Amino acid sequence: MIQPLPAIPNASESQIRQAMIDLRGVVKIFKNAAGEFKVLKGIDLTIQPGEFIAVVGKSGSGKSTLLNMITGIDYPSAGQVVIGGTDIYHNMSESQRSLWRGRNLGIVFQFFQLLPMLTLLENVMLPMDYAGMYDFDERPKRAMELLRMVGLENMANKLPLAISTGQQQGVAIARALATDPPLIVADEPTGNLDSRSANAMIDLFEQLVGQGKTIVMVTHDPSLTARTSRTVVIFDGELIDETIVRALPLLRHRHMIEFSRLAERRAYQPGQTIISRDQQVEYFYMIASGEVDVVLRGGRRSDVNIARIGPGNFFGEIELLRGGKSIANVRAASDGPAELLVLPREDFLRVIQESPITAEALGNIVQQRLEEHRAVDHRKVRRLMKR
Amino acid sequence: MRPRWRKVLLDLFEHKGRTVLVVLSIAIGVFSIGVIAGTYVIISSDMSASYAANHPANIEIRMSNFDENLLATVRNFSEIDAAEGRRVFSVRARTPQGSKWTSLDVVAVEDFEANQLNILNPIEGNTAPEKGEILLEQKALDDLDLEVGDELEIELPDGSLKRFPVAGIVQDPTTSADDFLASPLAFVTMSTLPNLGQPEQFNRIYASVVSGQDDIAHIRLTGDALKDKIEKSGFTVVRMRFAKTHEHPMAATVNAILGILMALGVLIVFLSSSLIANTLSALLNQHLRHIGVMKLVGARNRQVFIMYLALILSFGVLALLIAVPLGGQGAYALSLFIASKMSFNLMGYRIVPLAFAIQIAVGILVPLGAGFIPVINGSRVTVLRAISGDLARETKPGSGSGEKRESGFERFQTRVTAALARRGVHIPRPLLISLRNTFRQRGRLLLTLFTLMMGGAIFIAVFNVRVTLNDYIGSIGQYFLADVTLDFDQPYRIKEVTQFAEQIDGVEQVEGWSFVGADILYPDGTVATNLNILAPPAASELVSPILVSGRWMLPGDVRKLVVSEAILADFPDLQPGDYLDLKIYGREEAWEVVGIFKFIGREGVLAYAPFEYISEVTNLPGRSYSFRVVTAQHDRAYQDLVSEQLDQYFRQQGFKIREASPGLAMLDLAVESLGILVTFLLIMALLTASVGSMGLTGTMGMNVLERTREIGIMRAIGADNPAIMRTVIAEGVVIGSISWVLAVILSFPITYLLTMIVSLAVFESPIAQVFTAAGYFIWLGLVLVLSVLASILPARNAARLTIREVLAYE
Repeated sequence: MIQPLPAIPNASESQIRQAMIDLRGVVKIFKNAAGEFKVLKGIDLTIQPGEFIAVVGKSGSGKSTLLNMITGIDYPSAGQVVIGGTDIYHNMSESQRSLWRGRNLGIVFQFFQLLPMLTLLENVMLPMDYAGMYDFDERPKRAMELLRMVGLENMANKLPLAISTGQQQGVAIARALATDPPLIVADEPTGNLDSRSANAMIDLFEQLVGQGKTIVMVTHDPSLTARTSRTVVIFDGELIDETIVRALPLLRHRHMIEFSRLAERRAYQPGQTIISRDQQVEYFYMIASGEVDVVLRGGRRSDVNIARIGPGNFFGEIELLRGGKSIANVRAASDGPAELLVLPREDFLRVIQESPITAEALGNIVQQRLEEHRAVDHRKVRRLMKR
Repeated sequence: MRPRWRKVLLDLFEHKGRTVLVVLSIAIGVFSIGVIAGTYVIISSDMSASYAANHPANIEIRMSNFDENLLATVRNFSEIDAAEGRRVFSVRARTPQGSKWTSLDVVAVEDFEANQLNILNPIEGNTAPEKGEILLEQKALDDLDLEVGDELEIELPDGSLKRFPVAGIVQDPTTSADDFLASPLAFVTMSTLPNLGQPEQFNRIYASVVSGQDDIAHIRLTGDALKDKIEKSGFTVVRMRFAKTHEHPMAATVNAILGILMALGVLIVFLSSSLIANTLSALLNQHLRHIGVMKLVGARNRQVFIMYLALILSFGVLALLIAVPLGGQGAYALSLFIASKMSFNLMGYRIVPLAFAIQIAVGILVPLGAGFIPVINGSRVTVLRAISGDLARETKPGSGSGEKRESGFERFQTRVTAALARRGVHIPRPLLISLRNTFRQRGRLLLTLFTLMMGGAIFIAVFNVRVTLNDYIGSIGQYFLADVTLDFDQPYRIKEVTQFAEQIDGVEQVEGWSFVGADILYPDGTVATNLNILAPPAASELVSPILVSGRWMLPGDVRKLVVSEAILADFPDLQPGDYLDLKIYGREEAWEVVGIFKFIGREGVLAYAPFEYISEVTNLPGRSYSFRVVTAQHDRAYQDLVSEQLDQYFRQQGFKIREASPGLAMLDLAVESLGILVTFLLIMALLTASVGSMGLTGTMGMNVLERTREIGIMRAIGADNPAIMRTVIAEGVVIGSISWVLAVILSFPITYLLTMIVSLAVFESPIAQVFTAAGYFIWLGLVLVLSVLASILPARNAARLTIREVLAYE
C-alpha cells in the first residue's frame, strides 16, 4: 500500500486546474544525410491531471519522440508543448529545462537507468540534490520512505548491480517520485520485467494515479492498456483518433489512421435522429462522446428503446455489411448531446476488406446484434399483437 | 584503397581531438628526447672541439711581475711547447654615458698576431688592437651597451678616468673556461699598459706541453717542475691551473647536467607512453563495435591487429613529422644557448644522426609498445562481447544485473559512506558520483596518477634543489661575510687602512687578511695539489665555517690549518690531527690539520690559518694587501654604495687601491649562474607536468565519453549544466589532489637524488639537502588549476550532450 508522502508545491492551483499536458501542432523533423524525416506530424494532445495514459505505437511510429517532447528531452521543430501550465520550449534553455524536469517530472526508463556508482538510497536522493528540494538532512529520510514504498528499504545501501531487474525498476520509480512531481512519464517500464513484476508496477501506478498523479506510459503490452484510463495510439507520426481506437481496437494501425483521416466528426443534439428505420445507411458511425439510443418505433404512445450505446461503440455496420435499409431508428440520447465520427460506406467497406481480422470481429458483432435485435423485435411484435 | 585501410584513414581523421591528443603525447616525448640527445651530441663534440681549436694553454701560472727573460726561460723548458706571457688585472669600466660600473679582467697581450695560445675568435671589428685601443670579449656586452668604435671609460689606479676606443669584439673560449663566475675579459696590447697605469710587465704565464696534452698528471708534473724553476729564479707563484687540450674544463659539469636533462627526457617519454597506452585502450573500447562488425563479416584476429597497428604507426609518423624538425631546432637552440654561456662556438646547424635515430625509434617503438597490449586485447575480443559493448565491464542495466556481486572496493566505498552518514556526515550525491567515478577505471587512473605524480614530484624536487643550491651558496657565503672587500696593489698597515675606512659613513669594522700559496706534497716529495691559505684574524667573525670535522683555527695556532674537504680527493684518509707536508716559499714544513670544512670542491683546496701566524710567514706583520669591511647594512645596494665611496676615498688619499667590491657580488653571480640550471630543470619539470595534464585531459575526455549515458540520466533527473560540469571537474580535481599527495611523497627521494647529481656536477661535493614549502604549495595550486583546466573541455562537452543523443547510445 502506498503511503501518501508529504507533497510539495510544484505548480500553482490555477495551473493544476489546467490540462497537465497540452501539445498543440507539435512537429518534429529529423535531418540526416538522406534528407528530412518528419517523425511527428502535427500532434495535438491534451491530458488532464490524474489521467493514466497508455501511449501505444509500433517501432518507429514516433512514440518515444512524442515522449521526449513531453519530458523536454528533445525539442519540437514546430508547435507548442505546455506541461503543467509551463511552455517548456520557449524562453527555457536545455540546462534550465533539466532543472525544471527535476522538479516537475519523474521519468521511469525501460532500462531503469540507475547510476551504477550510487547505492539505491543515493540514487533516490540524487534528484532532490539536483532540484535543491527538501532540507539536506531530510533527503535520506524521504528517500528511505520511497524505498520502503517499493519494498526495498532493506537493500538501500546496495549498488544497483546487486539487485534484480524488477527491484531496479522499483528503485527507478522511487527515484521518479523523489521530488514528488505531479507527472510521471514511463518509457516501456515493463519492457524488461517478468509479468509478476510488471503487474506489481502497474498496481503501483494505479495507486499513484489514485493519489492524483498523472502518468503517461509507453507500452507494447495490450494487457496494460486495458488498465489505463486512456490509450493514445501513434502511427507514422500521427495520433489515431481515440474514438477509432476504442471502437475498432483490432484494426491495423494503418487502417485506423486512414479512418482518422477520412472520418467526419458530427454533433447531434439530445433526441436528434441520426438514422431513421428503413433509411438507406451510407455511413459507419462511431460514438466519440455522449450516448445514442437504438429505437424500434411503436404505436403512437411509445417507441421501444432496444439499446443505449456510449463512447467507443459504433453502429450502422449491419446495414453496410449485409446491405439493406436500417432496421431501427438511432438517435442521440435525450439526456445529452452526442458526438459521432462518421465514415463513408465505400471507405469503410474497402478498409474492412483489407482487414480480415476486423471483418471477422465485425461479423461476429453483426451476428450478435442481429440476434439481439430479432429477439427484441419478436417480443415487440408479440406485445403489439396482444394489444 | 581496400576498405579496411580506408577505415584506418578515417579513424585517424574522424576524431581530430583524440588524434591530436595521441599525436601530441607522442610528440612531446620525441621532442624532449630529440632536444636533449641532439644537444648532448652537439655539445659534447663541439664544446671540446671548439675549445681545442683555440689552442688552450695546459698550464696557467699566476705570479709576481716578470719580463721577457723569464718567459724565454719558460719557453726553453724541455717539456714546454709554447708559452705566452700576459698581464691580467682587474679594472672598473663603464660606458661614457653610463653610471654603472662593471668589473673587467684586462688581458694585455704581447703580440696578437703571433699569439699561439688561448687564441681569440673574431666576432666584429679587429682582433688585434692598436696601442690605446681595447678589445672586448662578447660576454662584456651583457653589462656594457657598446659597439665597435664606441669608447669605454676605465678607472685607472690613481682614480682618474680614461677612455679607450673599442677596436673589436672577440670571443675567448679558453682563458676563463673553467670559471663561470669570472669577470668578463678585455684585451689590450702590452704597449697600452702605461695608459692604464700598469707596469709593462707580465704576471701570468700560459703554456702548452710538448706531449701528453690530454694527460692531466703529466701536465701537472710539468707545471710543478716549471714552478720550481720559476721560484728558483726568485719569482713568486701565486696559483696554478692545469687543463687538457681536447677537453673543455666544464665538459664534465655540462655533460652531467645534460645527463640529468636526458634522464628527465627519458622519463617524459615513459610518461607519454602511459598516456598513449591510456588513449589507445580507450580508443579500442570505443571501436569495439567496429571490431565486432568486422569480425562478423569475416575479419580474422590478425587482420584486425594489423589494422590497429597501422593506426598506431600513423599516430607515430604524424608525431615524428611534428617533433623531429622541432627537436632538431630545439637541440640547436639549446646548444647555442649553452655555447654562448660557455663562450665556445658550434660547428654549425646539423642533423644529429644519433638524435634522429633515437627520435624515430621513440616515435615508432614507444606507441607500438604502449599500444601492443590494448591492440592485442582488442583484436582478440569475441564477436558477442564486441557487439554487446560490454568491454568496459560497466553495469549495463537490464543485462545480467542482479547476477553480479559488488566488488570489495565497491563495498568498501558504500560502507564508508554509510558509516559517515550514520555519524551525520552526508556527502552530497553529485560529489559522491565524482569521488566514486574516480576509481571506476582503475588502470586508467593509475596511469594518469603516475604521470601527474612524476611531473609533480620532479616539479617539487626542482624547487627543493633550487633552494638547496641557494642555501649552499648562502652557506658558502658564510666564508665571505664581509660587506666590502678592499684589495690594494701594495701592503698597507692595518691600523692606517682602518682609520681611513672609518671616515666613511656606515663602515663599522675593518679586518686585514693575508693570503699565501703553498704546495701540498705527497710523502715522496712530489706535489699533490696547490693550496691557497686564507688568513683572517683568528677571532674574525667574517668567516662562519661549516666544519665537517675537527675545530676552527685559534689565535695561537702555529703551522696549523683548517683545510677544505677537497683535500680528501688526494688524501682520502686525512683526519684532524694528521700532518700535511707543505711547501711555502720554497720551504718544506709539516703543518697539522686541525679541522676540515665544507667548501665548493671545484675551487681547489683551500685552507684557513690565523693571520697572526701567516703574517709572520709572509713577513708582513700588521700589514696586508687585502681588507674586509663590515658595514651598517648588509644589502647589495648598500654594499655597492659603500664600495664606491671607499674606492673613491682611498684613491683620493693616494692609496694604490686595486678594487673595492661588494661582498654579495660574487654570490649574486653564482646564484644567477645556478638560476640558468634551475630554469632548465624547471622547463623539464613543466614539460613533465604538461604531459601529466595532457594525460588527465585525455582521461577525463575518455571518462566523459564512456559515461555519456550516465550524464544523460543525470540530465533527465534534473542536473543542469553547472551540475554536470561540477561533477566532471570535481573528478578531475580529486585525481589532481590524489596525485599531489603521491607527488609529495615521491618528491623526497627525487629531491635527494637530483640534489646529489647536481651538487656533484656543479660543486664536486655533496651538499646538505634543504626543503621548501614553496614547491609543494605551488604544485598544489598548479595541479588543481591543471585539473580544472583539463576537465573543463570534457565537462563542457558533457554539458552540451542532449539527452536524446545520450539515449541514442542505447
